[in-house]
Amino acid sequence: MQEVHAAPTDRPCLSRRRFLLASGGATVTTLFLASQFSKTGIGEELLAEVAEFERKKVATLSDLKVDTPVPIFYPFDATDLNSLNFIVKLGEEASGGVGPDSDIVAFNTLCTHVGGDLSKTEKTYMKDYKILGPCPLHLTTFDLRRHGMVVAGHATQSLPQLVLEVDGNDIYATGILGLIYGKCNNAELPPVI
Amino acid sequence: MPQAEYVPQSKVPLPPPDAEVFTTCCDYCIVACGYKVYRWPVGKEGGPKASENALGADYPVPASSGKWISPNMHNIVLVDGKEHHVIVIPDAESKVVNVGGTHSIRGGCIAQKCYNPNTLTKDRLQYPQIRVGDKLVRTSWEDAIEIMAEVSKYVLENYGENAWAQKQFSYQYFENTYALTKLAFRHIETLAFAFHDNPSNAEDTPGWRDMGYDNFAAAYEDFSLADTLFISGTDPYETKTVLFQSWIMKGVEERGTKLIYALPRKTTGVAFAESRGGLYLDLIPGTDTVLHMAIIRVILENGWEDKEWIEKFTASKWEQDSGFGRGIRDTGWQWRTTWGKLQGNDFSQYREWLLSQKEAELDEAERITGVSREKIVKAAEMMARPRPDGTRPKTTLGMEKGNYWSNNYLNTASLGMLAVCCGAGNRPGQMLARLGGHQRGGITGGLYNIAKSPEKYPGRRRKPLDLDRWVEAGHVRFAYVVGCTWTTAMTGSQFLANTLEKFTRDNPHQLTSTDKDAAIETFKKRVDSGGMMLVHQDIYLRKPIGSIIADIVLPAATWGEADFARANGERRLRLYSKFYDPPGESKPDWQIVAMFAKAMGFDGFDWKESNDVFEEAARFTRGSRKDYLPLVWLAKNKGVKSHDLLRAYGTHGIQGPIRYQDGELIGTKRLHDATVQLPDTGPQGPTIHSKIMSAFNTQSGKINIQKSPWSLFADFYEWQRPKEEDGELWVTNGRVNEIWQSGFDDIERRPYIIDRWPANFLEIHPDDAKARGIESGDELRVYSDRVPVQVSSFQGVRGAGKPDGDLSFTTLMEEGHIKLASGSVTAVAMVTPAVKKGVSFMFNLDTKEPANSLAPRVPDPLSDNYRYKLGVGKVEKTGESPYKNSFGQMSFGRRDLVGESDGADANT
Repeated sequence: MQEVHAAPTDRPCLSRRRFLLASGGATVTTLFLASQFSKTGIGEELLAEVAEFERKKVATLSDLKVDTPVPIFYPFDATDLNSLNFIVKLGEEASGGVGPDSDIVAFNTLCTHVGGDLSKTEKTYMKDYKILGPCPLHLTTFDLRRHGMVVAGHATQSLPQLVLEVDGNDIYATGILGLIYGKCNNAELPPVI
Repeated sequence: MPQAEYVPQSKVPLPPPDAEVFTTCCDYCIVACGYKVYRWPVGKEGGPKASENALGADYPVPASSGKWISPNMHNIVLVDGKEHHVIVIPDAESKVVNVGGTHSIRGGCIAQKCYNPNTLTKDRLQYPQIRVGDKLVRTSWEDAIEIMAEVSKYVLENYGENAWAQKQFSYQYFENTYALTKLAFRHIETLAFAFHDNPSNAEDTPGWRDMGYDNFAAAYEDFSLADTLFISGTDPYETKTVLFQSWIMKGVEERGTKLIYALPRKTTGVAFAESRGGLYLDLIPGTDTVLHMAIIRVILENGWEDKEWIEKFTASKWEQDSGFGRGIRDTGWQWRTTWGKLQGNDFSQYREWLLSQKEAELDEAERITGVSREKIVKAAEMMARPRPDGTRPKTTLGMEKGNYWSNNYLNTASLGMLAVCCGAGNRPGQMLARLGGHQRGGITGGLYNIAKSPEKYPGRRRKPLDLDRWVEAGHVRFAYVVGCTWTTAMTGSQFLANTLEKFTRDNPHQLTSTDKDAAIETFKKRVDSGGMMLVHQDIYLRKPIGSIIADIVLPAATWGEADFARANGERRLRLYSKFYDPPGESKPDWQIVAMFAKAMGFDGFDWKESNDVFEEAARFTRGSRKDYLPLVWLAKNKGVKSHDLLRAYGTHGIQGPIRYQDGELIGTKRLHDATVQLPDTGPQGPTIHSKIMSAFNTQSGKINIQKSPWSLFADFYEWQRPKEEDGELWVTNGRVNEIWQSGFDDIERRPYIIDRWPANFLEIHPDDAKARGIESGDELRVYSDRVPVQVSSFQGVRGAGKPDGDLSFTTLMEEGHIKLASGSVTAVAMVTPAVKKGVSFMFNLDTKEPANSLAPRVPDPLSDNYRYKLGVGKVEKTGESPYKNSFGQMSFGRRDLVGESDGADANT
């Protein structure tokens, strides 16, 4: 059964260090993501079942320009169309944002309604609002500052967000929050084509 | 800091190939998309190859496959006490309604509706409870029912049938509404009765009724066949979501349908319309009648009306007066048409009248509606101007609450006349339709005997009793409230809640134990002292009707927990299958009603299962838009249960009225259909070829012409409209996509929806916000000390200088029948140019912060509908909400964005 979290004080909040120690392989763990998904680093947590994958470098900090999304593949490579994401420096602080301004976020590009293609970010990234959309199929929009929450439309979960971390000038992805459209399991390897 | 409730998931279990499959429909909005339920025992799972799962799909699946299972489509339920997985997924094979398995956010999450003690549904009502002192304590079904029956009998004997009230959902399945109304009307014979959204047993769209238009005549296909679609008082993108996705967008993409919206607030559908050559008529709340009349005037002045159609399908004076004349004796219909204020003799007289109305002139219309004259002219052109080759645009008109819940009679009559000018109402792509709210699950199991109503129009014509006013006047001693909140869904909510508390909780006669006999005696004493006993029956404990006011609370079983049947907004009947155990001792409403009725000594309630009620109710649908008697007749001939025959039609179902012909059941695509083919040999078996199938619903079969004089509304409107000098704004209200006809279980119990809307909000224009120092995310107090509440006058006002039975706002106010109440709610600010300046907008049914508290409780005297959308108040900042500077919950993103081609800022 789906686990329902108790009052936050009833259970330990995994620290950033514990989260890293707990990762490895494509396992699924229920975790509090504390510092990463908090504006202040304390008090606000997001509980998630995260599919953790191999830590993979996805971008270089100094290459990212504000409001300029860059396509990246994760957790698998370009042979898996469901693994197409984008990383963007929003220029405004965001949930799960990394980097010196906590404003670098990455999301999957398949609409979680019926799988519309949001990857053409020159059309779908609305820089004035930090919103992705509308989906070309049924116009759903997602709030990139608020962990990909549906702003308006029909999706039943947020746009899957990548768990990022910064090491020097390198940005790594370590996991995904939310099931990617089309899949029954984020960790399922793509079929061999 | 607010914590996100929703736990994102990384995987979802797949049903194994041998999983059981059930068909059902979404429980929520009028559109009723078809769904399949896959069920299998916990302990095994299917695999990602097509041969390994019941959906026969290879994962990952492609876009629009209809086969992707979102984590919110999964739950775990009990079946015969054993844990089972369920996947509730839109039917990918569907050829109707949600073609190919598309869905809304609400239907897509409906698996979360199922009771599961490990989710927020854990507070489902499971046992009957009775209030002892301040606490609700568990009691037995036997005791609860006996107490209700004994007190009811006492009330009927000593205070009469109108002291026994029923307030109930009109929509939650045929079986339940039939049982409830059979009890109330056929056995109790009470007139103290109202549905969940109305103060009395009133018609929703009386203007259309008087003209002969059925509310749900259109087929969903008609919305994809129109050249111009005029949409008023709603954005079907937000509400009626799949009608928009599957049918309206199809018309826009395939034939270039142009959308015209008349609304004070812009959401996604409006922005989409503008980006595709459509038009946004940004009107001030409550001014639709003037807008309609101004568009009609432009059409008439240019001779663009559909003359041929008008000649053929509108009644002449003599046709209107033929037979029984204008309407049935002793009804509002007759009254509304007797003194000539609303009655148009024929179209030519209507033209003369319309052209003489100052409000229909462009200058005046622009001033009143706030819509520019250019837009009004453009709308007339798009709807009715013939093309150079002489052909006409096909125009369909659809509307909903923003229209008919602001100025009920006049808005519906004037919109009906706009449809007449466009030749709309009886042919493909040219229809007039309510877009709808709840699904159509009502069957009335008895006669509401209006001839006995204590309330009347001027003269001797009776009017349905206003239950809210009747309670306030102290006439109700027992109230049976089923599946609705009563207070928060009515206007002047706080005033009404105080009234109900006064007669229940504030009465000195309260229970001190669960002893049955003592309880009966105590309630009798309460009743004799002028108080009231109240029973609430629902799936959750509602605030305040259950949690504070009710003496007895009964647990109901619902969707998925029993077999039920219902129709959607194109009259499509489907079977909603049972697929898991109801929680605890909860029972379907019809079964509780049967227990109650039998305890009162009434016969005819010996139903054993849901199908028995469905079959009995069929004859009460004869000749109506959901006539399914032929289905029941055929099932009996075949020796099967009617529910099972309907189940065989799956998510496709069959559209009412249903006909039997040559061994088959035939549905009816649209009503009033001038193109319908009925067999020359006449109806077969129990089939009725009712007039509404092929003609309009009047004595002549043609449209009766109705006028809509603004003066009947203007005095109220002038008094009610915001006084800018006092800092007032319109505080209008409505729905949002994420919570639409689903608030009864998602707003407090669905983690993803809670995160989206953890608090009520108020959209406010940037100029109005700036003047009050408000930013998005601020916490606001929204209040008014002048919420008008009509508390008396059941027969109008008589006296010097007054026409007999004057019901005008001015007279009611002068004579002291209207009190001023206060209302105050809190909300989180969302500053957006999507609302018109001077207008603010709140979600209407937040149980903690009901926007209806600020809406006037003075019903339209012509029809007894509330003017829900005309709330007015002052708005002030009280601080910052916790959502302003955190990211866990709530988004302040604009809801009117459709990308680079949108006109997002065009109207700011």
